Amino acid sequence: MVVPLISIILLAPLAAFTIFALLGLAKRSFPRQDLLSTAAMLVALGCSLYLLKEVVPKPDPHTVDWISLGNITFSMGFYLDSVTVIMLIVVTLVSSLVHIFSIGYMHGDPRYPRFFAYLSLFSFSMLFLVVSDNLLGIYIGWELVGLCSYLLIGFWFEKDSAANACKKAFLTTRVGDVGMFIGMMILFWQLDFKTFSLYGEGGIFSAVATTDDKLWLSIAGILIFCGAIGKSAQVPLHTWLPDAMEGPTPVSALIHAATMVAAGVYLTARMFPILTPSSSLVIAYIGGITAIVAATIAIVRFDIKRVLAYSTISQLGYMMLAIGAGSYVAGLFHLTTHAFFKALLFLGSGSVIHAFHAMHAHHDDDHADNAEHDHSLVHEHGSEIPPDQDMRNMGGLRRKMPITFITMLIATLSISGVPFIFSGFWSKDKILGGVLGRAMEWNSIHHYVLFGIALCAAGITAFYMFRLIFMTFFGEPRNQEMHNMAHESPWVMTVPLIVLAALSFPVVNHLWFNKDYVKPPPQPHIQAPQHAYVPSDTKIGFTLFGLSEAEAADEEGGTDTEQSDKAHHAHEVAHNIAMVLSIIVAGLGILLSWLFYHRRRFSAEAVATTFRPVYNLFWNKYYFDEFYDGVLVTLTVWKARLFAKFDLSIIDGIVNGVATITQKIFAASIGFFDNRVVDGIVNRVAEVTWAAGGRIRRIQTGAIQTYLFVVLGGIVLIILIFRAL
Amino acid sequence: MSLQHYLVISSILFTLGIFAVLTRRNAISILMGIELILNSCNLNFAAFSRFVIPLEEVEGKIIQNIDGQIIAIFGIVLAAAEAAVFLAIILAIYREFGSIRPDEVDTLKG
Repeated sequence: MVVPLISIILLAPLAAFTIFALLGLAKRSFPRQDLLSTAAMLVALGCSLYLLKEVVPKPDPHTVDWISLGNITFSMGFYLDSVTVIMLIVVTLVSSLVHIFSIGYMHGDPRYPRFFAYLSLFSFSMLFLVVSDNLLGIYIGWELVGLCSYLLIGFWFEKDSAANACKKAFLTTRVGDVGMFIGMMILFWQLDFKTFSLYGEGGIFSAVATTDDKLWLSIAGILIFCGAIGKSAQVPLHTWLPDAMEGPTPVSALIHAATMVAAGVYLTARMFPILTPSSSLVIAYIGGITAIVAATIAIVRFDIKRVLAYSTISQLGYMMLAIGAGSYVAGLFHLTTHAFFKALLFLGSGSVIHAFHAMHAHHDDDHADNAEHDHSLVHEHGSEIPPDQDMRNMGGLRRKMPITFITMLIATLSISGVPFIFSGFWSKDKILGGVLGRAMEWNSIHHYVLFGIALCAAGITAFYMFRLIFMTFFGEPRNQEMHNMAHESPWVMTVPLIVLAALSFPVVNHLWFNKDYVKPPPQPHIQAPQHAYVPSDTKIGFTLFGLSEAEAADEEGGTDTEQSDKAHHAHEVAHNIAMVLSIIVAGLGILLSWLFYHRRRFSAEAVATTFRPVYNLFWNKYYFDEFYDGVLVTLTVWKARLFAKFDLSIIDGIVNGVATITQKIFAASIGFFDNRVVDGIVNRVAEVTWAAGGRIRRIQTGAIQTYLFVVLGGIVLIILIFRAL
Repeated sequence: MSLQHYLVISSILFTLGIFAVLTRRNAISILMGIELILNSCNLNFAAFSRFVIPLEEVEGKIIQNIDGQIIAIFGIVLAAAEAAVFLAIILAIYREFGSIRPDEVDTLKG
């Protein structure tokens, strides 16, 4: 039952794309590509939901041989466990809703059918990535989603900014992918495995469990994580994701918020068994740094989509941090909750942009004469904010667009970690608790630092998300003309918003809190440090949460068998502390945001002026783009110039020199021989023939009687000769 | 009348024909010369057939072999056909060159 279901899940979107591609070859298009693609996704969604009921939780691999090379056989196959099925549902659900939303959002676009075909291809690739049981299959899906991302970011390729953004996204992620490929090669080279699958007897993970070579495992783990750094836009390869917002907003929601960028987190989670303490720590630090860096940048953005893009980067950093800190379940849990509320935020922003869009088109018509001029302007200032995405043009939209407002508010409450009734709170709390728990369990200073970073990022997240809500939906309209044009979106766009809003409440949490359902895979190379103990300062926690000093003291003097109990206890305590702290920072963030942007008790501009250097750092995105421009691009261009000079002077010089020698010496002498000797013989022969012909032709008089006379003479001669004989 | 008489007549006809073919400046006259030559040949055939071929005896009857005479008749038919073709050629030449003088039709001159 499983194989046909998975086949349907994979083939339905692929079929939708194939129909488009084949008809495209015939220069035709299917009349309702949108409905076809949407139907394919709904079918896939239905099958995924059925899988949830049917097979899981027991892992269920299915492989077939793909290529045989000598004694190595590459296999392709599916691996289904609870996480895979949940990912399948997240991808198909978000994809279906985005398809439906796009029917409204993309309406009237000249390449409307193509958009849906690309979405179908993307969905297929992503689903393939999710169900693959081996690294090569994952890599194929990985590159395919990268390709679809490229195609969809550059969907409006007439805009220079979009064309540049898609190239940037493709090349930047490629940097990470090269690392990932090298990591895979190291695994294949260093490990002694029998089947190509990650799982099962003789698979890569069982080989990992038996190897002692921690150094190579760490290197391979970090290199494979490089792929995730690129795809999930972690520092330092995060710069492509904000630029990717040049694509249509449904694409941002599907690919650059909910699914593709989460593939990096998913990959890291799949690679959980190969992580070693050092590679885990690298992952955790990169995740933590990404979380805080992106969050601080988001504070000062004015483009509504850019704010959400940095928010996505920050949340992805969170997930990486969780997996790096060993909180497998927390990371994936946050992945799913984030997919829903971030897709909702993007679709909501799309709804807002759509509301302004008529206005924008009108604006374009007015300036049709200046189109050429505008174009060059955009090219010069690539980061200029389109007027329909600029939050400084918004305000007071809550009365105009009530459904968009309420659904976006729910998502914002969820991402900010407002306690208990929103899903984001639970997943974020699980991450914070997991990191703090690891810190307490191992008494690791690194994890305390990371916990602090994550906590700060949580507060900042609440602050900038409410800044977005206050600037967009509250207050008075800042641009009355645009405000008058704004309108609530049609039902095809609001229904997906409502469904996603419902999913921002903790409706699927029970899956993640059920320890029998989602089990983290074992990490054979990570053990608690020898001298790990529950540190004394957690006693405060123990007292705070109702444990007596005596109980805490009992915990301290444990034997080895009690070690795990103690670790478990530390995690529970950590979760309680983390929950309280996260509620406090979220409240602080929301409060500050309210004071700054709603009550206007403080002026954001004044604060920005006071802390000018810090503000500049945030405004210029930590100068990452400038750094890449200044160092990498300049270096590459300089290197290219050097090589060009080498080519032009030395290589061309040699080639030209050889050419000159050949021309002057060989060609000249051979030419002389040809002209004089060969041509001379031919010409002399011709002249002799010509002269002879000139004489002999006189015989031909053309007079028939002359010929007859000669014939007669000839006959007489013959007769005479015969007589003489 | 012996074979010699026929041969003399035939030689005279032949010589006259050759003379006409070589000297006449009119294509029709040349045709007439050719006819003379042909007829001298026919005469020869008939004469040789009559005087040279011995009589044969077939089933008790004495029979004259007349192969030569039949060839002479074929020659006459041939001459008629040849005259028709020749006249058609002359007509075509006249249309092309506006003349039937052979020395004016010399486009094959080298």
